[in-house]
Amino acid sequence: MSILIIQILNSLFYASVLFLIAAGLSLIFGVMRIVNMAHGTFYAVGAFVTAWLVGRVIALGVPAAWTFLLIPVGAGAVALLGVVIEPLLRPFYRRAEEYQLLVTFGLLLILEDLIRLLWGGLPLSADPVMDVLPSIRIGGLIYPGYNLVVIAIGAAAAIGLWAVIYRTKFGVMLRATSQDRRMASALGLNVSLVYVSAFAIGCFMAGLGGAIIVPTQTAVLGMGIDALILAFVVVVIGGLGSLQGALVGALIVSFVRTAGIQFFPEIELAVLYLIAAVVLLVKPTGLFGTA
Amino acid sequence: MDKPTSVDRRKFLSALGVTVGGTGLAGAGLVAGPPVVKAAAEPPKGKIPDTPYKTGHMTFLTGPAAVLGEPSLKGHILAAEEINAQGGLLGKRKIETITADEAAGTDANVKELRRMKLEGKIDLFTGVISSGNTPALGPVAEELSLLTIFVDGCTDFLFDKAVPQPKYTFRITNIQSADGITTAIGTAQAWPQVRRIAHIHPDYSYGRNAAEHYTLALERLLPGTEVVSESWPKLGTTDFTSHITKAMSANPDILYTSVWGGDYIAFYKQALRYGLFDKMKVATTLAMGVAPHAIGKDHPEGVLAGVHSNYYFTYPSGDRWPINKEFVQRYYKRWNEYPNFQSDGAYVTLYMLKKAIERANQLVGGWPDDEVIISQLEGMGYDAPAGYLYIRPDNHQGYKDAVIGFSKNLPEYQFSTWDPNRVITIPIRNITAPPNWPKPGQGHNESTAAANWIKTTWPKAVG
Repeated sequence: MSILIIQILNSLFYASVLFLIAAGLSLIFGVMRIVNMAHGTFYAVGAFVTAWLVGRVIALGVPAAWTFLLIPVGAGAVALLGVVIEPLLRPFYRRAEEYQLLVTFGLLLILEDLIRLLWGGLPLSADPVMDVLPSIRIGGLIYPGYNLVVIAIGAAAAIGLWAVIYRTKFGVMLRATSQDRRMASALGLNVSLVYVSAFAIGCFMAGLGGAIIVPTQTAVLGMGIDALILAFVVVVIGGLGSLQGALVGALIVSFVRTAGIQFFPEIELAVLYLIAAVVLLVKPTGLFGTA
Repeated sequence: MDKPTSVDRRKFLSALGVTVGGTGLAGAGLVAGPPVVKAAAEPPKGKIPDTPYKTGHMTFLTGPAAVLGEPSLKGHILAAEEINAQGGLLGKRKIETITADEAAGTDANVKELRRMKLEGKIDLFTGVISSGNTPALGPVAEELSLLTIFVDGCTDFLFDKAVPQPKYTFRITNIQSADGITTAIGTAQAWPQVRRIAHIHPDYSYGRNAAEHYTLALERLLPGTEVVSESWPKLGTTDFTSHITKAMSANPDILYTSVWGGDYIAFYKQALRYGLFDKMKVATTLAMGVAPHAIGKDHPEGVLAGVHSNYYFTYPSGDRWPINKEFVQRYYKRWNEYPNFQSDGAYVTLYMLKKAIERANQLVGGWPDDEVIISQLEGMGYDAPAGYLYIRPDNHQGYKDAVIGFSKNLPEYQFSTWDPNRVITIPIRNITAPPNWPKPGQGHNESTAAANWIKTTWPKAVG
C-alpha cells in the first residue's frame, strides 16, 4: 500500500515538472505559432542558474532555508533571457516552419554550448534546498517533503496560468493575439508587448521547472534536450497550444511511465512513444488540440 | 578451474586471486607476457625528421558524456605537453593534436576519422569513449591502415566481432565484461549472505553487458541468488524516483546498478532521501569512475563503488607506486582536478606509443614505420599510473588488474573516496577469456567470449 501511495506521488512529482515545461512550450506556440526547439534548454538554464546560485549562497554561509528564495530567482533569470531572445526570433514568426525549426535549433545549440562554457562538464547539485524540509513517513517508508512542495508548485502553476489566460484582461489580449494578430493590432493592442510577455511567461515556466527539480537531482549537460523530447511527447498527446492538453498529457505520460517502470521494466523506453504514436493515429491533433 | 564442479567459495575467491586491503598489485595482467622493460635510455639512432607527429583525439566535447570526454583530452594534452617539453618523440617530433567531437554521432564520426586521415594527415588516431563508436571506427581505421589506440569504447564486441584480427587497432581500457564480473566478485567477497538482487541499468549496450556478466558470475560465486527487480531507465535519466520505489518494493538484499555520470549523482541523491541505502547494500560498476570530485560527502559510506574496473586516483597508493602519486600531482597541477580512468588511459596511450617508437628506432634506425611500432606495442608491458598494463598480442587489448573499492569519507578530500584499506584487486587474467578462446560465432553464440568462458569453466561455489 505504501508503495502504491509513493508511486502515485512519484508520478505527480514527475507530472508537475513535465507540465511546467510543456505548458510553456504550448503557450509560446499558441500565441506566436512557433515551435521553440530551444525550450528544453531554457529549462536547463533554470536548473544551472539555480544550482549555481545555491552553491554560491551556501558557500557564503547563508542558512539553507533562505535558498528557497533562489528558486523564483532562477526562474526569473530565464524569463529575462526570454525577454532578450524573443525580439531576435520575431522576424521568423511569418516564415515557413522549417526556418523556425532551424533557427530555434541553432539557438538550442548556442545555449547548450554557453551552459558548458559557463559551468563546465561536471554535474551541479543544489540539494541543501531539499534537505531544509523533513521527510515524511508513509507506512514503513520515507518520502522527501520537498517533493510534495514540487507537486504543490506544479498545481499552483496550472491554476495560476489558467487564471491569467481566462480570467484577466491580459489573458484576453493574449487570446486575441493568438486568434488574429492583425485584428488585435488594428484594435490598438501592443502586439510586440504581448509577444514578449507571452515568451517571457513561457520561459519562466520552463525555468521554474528546472529550478524546482534541480535540488532533487543535478544540473547536467544535455538535460534540456531530454526535457524537450519529453515535452514534445506531452504536447503530441495533449495537443500543441492547449493548456488542458499540457496538463492531461503530463499526467498521462508520468503515470504510464511509472506503471511501465513498476510492471513492465523492459518497455520503459518505448512506452511513451507508443502512447504518442497511438494518439497521432487516432487523433492527430492531440486530445485537446484544435488546429 | 577446468570443469564446472563445485568448490568452496573462499577457495574459489582465492583461486581468482582476489586480494583485499590495498595490498594487491600482483603480477598484473602479464598473461604469459614479457617482463616489464625499462624505457630505452639510448639516444635515437639515425636521422629523425622534425615534422610534427599529428594525432587526432576524438572524444565527447559536448553533451552529457563530456564529463568523461574532458578528462580524456586532458590526459592526452598533459602527456603531449610533457613529451614535447623533452623535444618531442625521439627528441625531434613534437606531438600536435587535432580534436573532434564524438557527440556528432557514429556516422559523422566515421566520416571525421576519414577526413582526419586524408586531410589532416594524422599519424595516430586516439580517444573515443562510446562502445557504440569503436566497432564502427575500428574497421575503418584498419581499412585506412591508420595506427589507432582507443582509450575507451570498451565493448567486448570490438575485438570479438568487429575487428577480430586487429593489425592497426589497439585499446587501452579493460574490456566491458570485466565490469560486471569485478562487481560480482566484490559482492561475493564483501556480502556472501546476499540472495535477493535488484538491478537498475541504463538501457543500452553498457547496461545490458554489465547486468549479464554480473549475473553470470554471481550465479557461480553465490549459487541461489535471484533477480527480484529490474529497471532499465534511458541513458540520461535524472528522475529515478519510480525506479527507486520499485526496487524497494521487492525487498532485495542488494541493489546492483551500472548507472553512471550525472545519472548516478541524481540517482544516489534521490536514493538517499528515499531511505534506500538503509534498506539494502548497494554495488555499482562505474559510480566513482566518472568524476571523482563530483561525488559529494553526502554519498553513503560502504557502497561497492566501481571505477570501470580500471583506475581510481588514490590507488595504487603513493608509498607503493610513486608513478601514480606523481601522475596525480602533475595532473592536478595542470588541471586543478583529479584524474579519472579516461585521464589515465589517454595519458598512458601517448607514453606507450613513445616507448614503442623508441624501441622500434633502436631496431631499425631513423623514424620507424608503423609496422615496426606495432610490433613493439604488441605484447608491451608498461608501468602505468594504474599499475602494470599489458597489451595482449592476439587481440591488441590492454589488460590491467581489475580494481573496485568501498566508498568512505576521508578528511583529506572534499568528496567521497575509496576506503584505502578495503580496495579489492583481481588479476585480470582470472576474469577474462584467455587468448584464442572461441569468439562469439565460433562454436558458441554467447554475447561475448567472456560469457562463454565463464559458463564453460567456472565452477559453482558452495558455503
